[in-house]
Amino acid sequence: MSELKPWLKLIFGRSGRLFIGALLMLAALLSGLGLLALSGWFITETALVGILLAASVPATINLYVPGGGIRFFAVSRTVSRYVERLYNHDTVLRLLTDIRVDLFHRLAAAGRGQRRELTGAQWLSRLTSDVDALDTLYLRLIAPASLAAFVTLVLFALAAVLFDIRIATGVVLMLGVAFVLATLAVYVRTVKIASRQSDQQEALRMAVVEHLEGFAELTAAGRTGKHGAWLMRQAHQAVSEQVKADSRTGWHLAGSNLLINLSAVFALWAGFELFRSGAISGPVLVLLPIALLGLAEVYSMLPEAFGKLGATQASAARLNRDCRNAEWPVASGDISLPADTALIAKDMKIKYPEHAPLFTHFDLQVKTGERLGILGHSGSGKSSLADVFSGLLIPSNGACASLPCAYLTQKTVLFEDTLRANLLLGDPDASDARLWRVLELVDLAERFRTEEDQLDTWLGSSGSRLSGGEARRVALARVLMSPASLLILDEPFTGVDTATREKITRQMDPWLEGKTVISLAHGPDALPGTDRVIQLGV
Amino acid sequence: MTRPALDQRAVRRWLSGLTRDNRHWIQGTVAAGTLAGVATIIQMVFLARIVHLGIIEKAPASELAPLFTGLVLAIVARAVAQGVQTQLAARCSEQVRRTARRQIHQHWRNLGPLALGQISAGSLAREWIDHVDALHGYFARFLPQMALSLVVPVLILALVFYLDWLAGIFLLLSAPLIPLFMALVGMGAEKLNQQHFETISRLSGQFLDKVRGLTTLQLFGQTASATEVIQQRSDHYRRITLKTLRVAFLSSAVLEFFASVAIAVIAIYIGFGLLGYIAYGPSPDLTLFSGLLILLLAPEFFQPLRTLSQHYHDRAAALGAGAEILARLGSAGQEAAPANTGAEDAEVEPLTFKPAACLDAIELTSVSLAFRPDHKVLNSVSLAIGKGDVIALTGPSGGGKSTLLNLLAGFLAPDSGDIHLFGRPAGSFAFGWLGQSGFLVHGTWADNLRLTSPDASDVAIEAALRNVGLGALLDSREDGIFSKLSEDGQGLSGGQARRLSLARIFVADYDVILLDEPTAGLDSDSEIHVLEALHKLALAGKTLIFSTHHQALLALANRVLLVSGGEVRDV
Repeated sequence: MSELKPWLKLIFGRSGRLFIGALLMLAALLSGLGLLALSGWFITETALVGILLAASVPATINLYVPGGGIRFFAVSRTVSRYVERLYNHDTVLRLLTDIRVDLFHRLAAAGRGQRRELTGAQWLSRLTSDVDALDTLYLRLIAPASLAAFVTLVLFALAAVLFDIRIATGVVLMLGVAFVLATLAVYVRTVKIASRQSDQQEALRMAVVEHLEGFAELTAAGRTGKHGAWLMRQAHQAVSEQVKADSRTGWHLAGSNLLINLSAVFALWAGFELFRSGAISGPVLVLLPIALLGLAEVYSMLPEAFGKLGATQASAARLNRDCRNAEWPVASGDISLPADTALIAKDMKIKYPEHAPLFTHFDLQVKTGERLGILGHSGSGKSSLADVFSGLLIPSNGACASLPCAYLTQKTVLFEDTLRANLLLGDPDASDARLWRVLELVDLAERFRTEEDQLDTWLGSSGSRLSGGEARRVALARVLMSPASLLILDEPFTGVDTATREKITRQMDPWLEGKTVISLAHGPDALPGTDRVIQLGV
Repeated sequence: MTRPALDQRAVRRWLSGLTRDNRHWIQGTVAAGTLAGVATIIQMVFLARIVHLGIIEKAPASELAPLFTGLVLAIVARAVAQGVQTQLAARCSEQVRRTARRQIHQHWRNLGPLALGQISAGSLAREWIDHVDALHGYFARFLPQMALSLVVPVLILALVFYLDWLAGIFLLLSAPLIPLFMALVGMGAEKLNQQHFETISRLSGQFLDKVRGLTTLQLFGQTASATEVIQQRSDHYRRITLKTLRVAFLSSAVLEFFASVAIAVIAIYIGFGLLGYIAYGPSPDLTLFSGLLILLLAPEFFQPLRTLSQHYHDRAAALGAGAEILARLGSAGQEAAPANTGAEDAEVEPLTFKPAACLDAIELTSVSLAFRPDHKVLNSVSLAIGKGDVIALTGPSGGGKSTLLNLLAGFLAPDSGDIHLFGRPAGSFAFGWLGQSGFLVHGTWADNLRLTSPDASDVAIEAALRNVGLGALLDSREDGIFSKLSEDGQGLSGGQARRLSLARIFVADYDVILLDEPTAGLDSDSEIHVLEALHKLALAGKTLIFSTHHQALLALANRVLLVSGGEVRDV
């Protein structure tokens, strides 16, 4: 359960809302119970009075109080249920926001090295189904369970007052078993299956993707059917487990219903003794069993929720693992930046866990205003070096210090937002004129002047699609906007044709006057203007 | 987004098609549900009877005991029927999902590798796994409940009419409203569901975008402002969603209201009837038994409908998922008609074919293929390739080299003309294929090779891996061919993966081997190994056909064909 702790803490940050939500749920539930119990009491009372009246025995009955009560409960049940649903959905949406913001905080606090590299699909499932499991934790699980427990105690008190403590104890014992059956027992019997499910799903997904990637080879070898049948079996196995869990949940629901009904039977049977001895009246005898029957409504919400608790725990564990608040590793050495130096690296070793080191004893000094080119073939560790220069990656040995820098990563990252918003990341205070100038610099001004929305052109899947080279140039423009005095450009011209590349290189020179530029590329023609070039891995 | 109605109808047709094959499971579920409903009715009859006898007639405990036994039995029967219902429902969904998965997989095979390669494997996998799973609630919950919400209320109504027709009329008055409820609930739920999914997916899309670009945000020091944006947008969507919810929840509130009011009206009517205040109709005959029974049955009359409204989102989810699956199943029908569409794997194909052509040559006779009407990729190409030949296909990109290879593989069918490989139609027997990207599965080296050659010996597997230059890598692994392919999280490089595929070809001992640009994009190390391996295959007398621009590969061939402008000719 410990994996749920941080999330529960977050959820209970809104304890006021949660409490009001629970009260509304209670009001709806008690209105339902009250409507039936009071109606049962009323009918029994009228039947007894009716017999007396028919026998011409004078008898009186107050019709207004129970009649008004029945009408009140009928209305309050409807109203409280409506308000409760609306209020609690609002709460869930608020919790969703809380959880997202918290997740993002945690992710932002972790360095890139610490953040697990997940695929888009994996992130999507983390951010949808895993987060969903948590934001409904209260509404599906905590609230109904505490409500069921509370109403059970209310009925216990009712039974003790109206009947006697002996019957009340008997009833509460049966309900206690029903409660355990609907909650803890379901959890225990499904937790393994539920927590396995997501891993199984992930493994199955991988197998399907492999199957599809190998489809041509498998077809050529005449094995698509055989391998497909194997996949079907894997899928079927996962579904069968789920069926097992569903069936167990169903039987537990039936079992707890059985006990609730039996507790009503018990109350009736034992109540008859009291009735015969004259301790209670007929209408009161009817009231309690009917109220007990009404309990099934709140109990029936429990087994399904507890059947999914194992999966919820697994979701929480995954989120904790993938978004954990990793401490920054302490840099092994510290180094101060000499005057007139933009970057200094001393005796650096760069190594990923379980891999051979990429660099050992790496030394470099870059003067301010220098244009340095670094060449290396793919896999030579260029990008890791750039990560270290920019401070994203901590060297496992030695030290690196640099002026504040702007870094164009090898991967082009644009956000689904306007062109303006994407560029402003580089310099939030830039004027439109400056944005246009930098666009001109990367030869994109023409391209966007013809767009209807100009700087507000939407980039990304739902907006205007950019070619790879265009996207690269937007990313380059964003870095060029930055006021930082050191620029690190990793393969700045990926996907950009030669003519444009030359034009941009020419135009960049005056713009970058006075700045230090370190560019990394696989070949000399992919570098912008340089004063000095070093070659890696020779 | 609103889907066109026609589309929805097609989806419903497809869903009911799945139902047809698994009808008995659904019928079983409904039968168990009906049984539970009947047991509930019997339980209430016993309950009302006991109360009546005990309170009005002051019956002694001994007289009530058998009734109590009956009551307990009814309750137990109800619980058992409930349990069986969920079990059958789960089974039903299991069967339906199996059928759907089989259908989709069969469709993939009909499409063939070429067309399938155009679609992202991720989205195909999502359809096969997640979309099919989304059908669960519809078949396990919604569909049976739909029948139950008709059957059980009718049973209750009949009994109430028998007891007191006036009370029956109260219930019946709400009965014509039931279809109205359903429509209301349906519209509400549909809208709610749609809104919910759209909001969630839009929000998660934006959130995902920010998470993916987090490093960039960090580099520009903009994480704080991004957090603010996430917060604002989330909150904005919450407000919009609530506006819709206010209306959507009204429909179920109406249902709730009618149910509550019906119970209240019946309770008050029965009370007044029992007091003798109503002299009209059946009221004077009311007893505590009939009165209490009607009251106890009234909530059960509405319960199936309330349950149905809770399951309504299952229907919307299934329709959504079904629409996407159907779009995929439908899109394909017209496009591809590859030769290799047999339901059975090629290796089990009977060998009783009629030799249509020369048995020791690959022959193309007037083969034409056009992807666009005005542009023929291959124009009446006739060609004969001898057994054991090593053929290099060269020519400009887009000239038709890959198309020709795909035709020979049977992944594509020509518009006209005949293709026979050693007398057999293309794709009707097992052959070697090496695409641009190698393919590997999670597991051991041996698993990977036995994918295509299940009967290969350990020795043969090791030999094949050494033949493609993976021997050194294999030696570095503790368990040899039984070690996992990707240990310590280190996978294979692209070149190593392609060599692994080549090793499969070595193990299998195919007569014909087709290779699409076997050296393109390889590092020099892998390139040398691939060249050597192909040389060995050529020496072993295999017929090799590959597309290439690579000088060393062109030198390896004993015949070079230029594929260009719809023609194929010797160089």
